[in-house]
Amino acid sequence: MNAELIPAVLFYLFAGVLVLSAMMVVASRNPVHSVLFLILAFFNAAGLFLLLGAEFAAFILVIVYVGAVAVLFLFVVMMLDIDFEQLRKGAWKSLPVGILVGLVLVSQMVMTAVNWQSLPTAGSSILSPAARHAAATNTQAVGAILYTDYVYPFQIAGLILLVAMIGAIVLTLRDRGGVLRQNINSQITRKASDVVEVRKVQKGAGIS
Amino acid sequence: MSSELIQTYFPVFVFLLLAIGMSGVMIGLSFLLAKQKPDAEKLSPYECGFDPFSDARHKFDVRFYLVSILFIIFDLEIAFLFPWAVSLGAIGMFGFWSMMVFLGVLTIGFIYEWRKGALEWE
Amino acid sequence: MMPITIHHFLAVAAILFTIGVFGIFLNRKNIIVILMSIELILLSVNINFVAFGAQLGDLTGQVFTLFVLTVAAAEAAIGLAILVVYFRNRNTIAVDDINMMKG
Repeated sequence: MNAELIPAVLFYLFAGVLVLSAMMVVASRNPVHSVLFLILAFFNAAGLFLLLGAEFAAFILVIVYVGAVAVLFLFVVMMLDIDFEQLRKGAWKSLPVGILVGLVLVSQMVMTAVNWQSLPTAGSSILSPAARHAAATNTQAVGAILYTDYVYPFQIAGLILLVAMIGAIVLTLRDRGGVLRQNINSQITRKASDVVEVRKVQKGAGIS
Repeated sequence: MSSELIQTYFPVFVFLLLAIGMSGVMIGLSFLLAKQKPDAEKLSPYECGFDPFSDARHKFDVRFYLVSILFIIFDLEIAFLFPWAVSLGAIGMFGFWSMMVFLGVLTIGFIYEWRKGALEWE
Repeated sequence: MMPITIHHFLAVAAILFTIGVFGIFLNRKNIIVILMSIELILLSVNINFVAFGAQLGDLTGQVFTLFVLTVAAAEAAIGLAILVVYFRNRNTIAVDDINMMKG
């Protein structure tokens, strides 16, 4: 096998499995299978990112998506007791519209993508060329521009995460009454004189 | 795409092949070698001798879901820390404080969820 | 076999995008699969970003891929949280039942 062939073989492997598993995500009857195929699709997309040299994006895709988002979907599918067969009913009614829209979309985009040429002057409008950052690895090159050149999008990403965090708490955290919680402050500020009482007990009288 | 990059990941590829091969051999051998004579009693779920109390697809509590959302948020925060850590020498003080503001914003969220009791487990 | 160019990656992204849109049509009632389809659409956008970045030797594509991943994860988390609350109140997740606010 010569050196030019290996990237091509890998590309067709990743792209083929990616497209097939994406089809299984939308066509599968059981949502648990959909989630598992989604994980397979993310893995293969990470492979495509690696082929393009975007190592850090590939790792993040595996860590965050496969490790967290897919698990979240799996949680929801298994947590809610849903009658999925009933939801499937009437799905094939909208199939012709879906196929029509899909065909129009894919033909438009593939036509555009195949005939597309980048402008000869495009090289001069590059914002952050990889060559300007003489970094040893892809992660270093990304880090060299992410926190300085793209500081505003980066802070907005932080705010989005904050909103997601607060939104999730507001939506799903409910106070169930009668839950006993540990209050550490009242525990350690409690004094013996407040709660312990020494009484003199008469013989045979007991205590009330 | 360069073939040097692909060569760098050759050990990962070997590792993947080994992992897939090993697990395939384990499942395949137990499938081939074991004697398989299923009957109704063997296939029924086993719960210490008595009939199972409830369905295996038991609904579990929504609080697990909140924990996993918070895990995603902090997972992304950590993901943004990696390139910062390896390129801190190149980006200087501005990059350092940029990340500090980012962490500060998320710390506000952390304090909020702490105060709301989202991290408490009864 | 042709050498792999950016056009191949763009075609894959286009097919993935279409599968995502098609999935929204096919699973109109099941909002979990709709959210997964949206994840697929955002994944195709990411492939486009990275492919153009690699073509032009520009790192902006990869940086914006990270932002898109962040937004997608937050969107999935909040979307599923809304779904959980909706299921708790109505005991179903059928999307076409959400019409109580219709005038």
